[in-house]
Amino acid sequence: MTKLLEWLFGVSLVGAVWALVTFDLLDLSLPQTYREVAWPMPLYLLVSFGCYSLATVGYRVATFNDCDEAAKELQEQIKEAKEDLRKKGLKM
Amino acid sequence: MATGVDQAVGMSLVVFSLLLFTYYSVWVIILPFVDSHHVLHKYFLPREYSVILPGIAAVILLLCIGAFTAVIMWKSRKPKKAD
Repeated sequence: MTKLLEWLFGVSLVGAVWALVTFDLLDLSLPQTYREVAWPMPLYLLVSFGCYSLATVGYRVATFNDCDEAAKELQEQIKEAKEDLRKKGLKM
Repeated sequence: MATGVDQAVGMSLVVFSLLLFTYYSVWVIILPFVDSHHVLHKYFLPREYSVILPGIAAVILLLCIGAFTAVIMWKSRKPKKAD
């Protein structure tokens, strides 16, 4: 089984469990508080993934070592690229 | 270690995302279990907003990306040559 199929299977399993709890498809009559926690779960996972990405980016920005020669070389390459693109017609 | 502004920006991003995560977690997960007369509820908006606000933020993000792309593509269009 390919990785894609594995992921799709896992995601649909989790999605089915969430739908069961949120929309009460099996008439399990769970306590209201558990249903209230369950239904925003997909959005909550998305928001926490976004927060994790933001924190990782911020942390790596803060701990990245300065490298002066690479910075100079990069500025040169940026200038070259801008010239090249300007010749090809892209207005910056 | 990166210096000055880089460190400040990076650390502020980390702190901001931690605060956002904590606030959102309490809002979504902990608040339903807290007694409705508890003073904690005063600090949180009604629960519907916990879905509406991220939705609006996502829409605004997509709008900004789309607008940026449109502006760049508009500026770099070449006038049609008359043949």
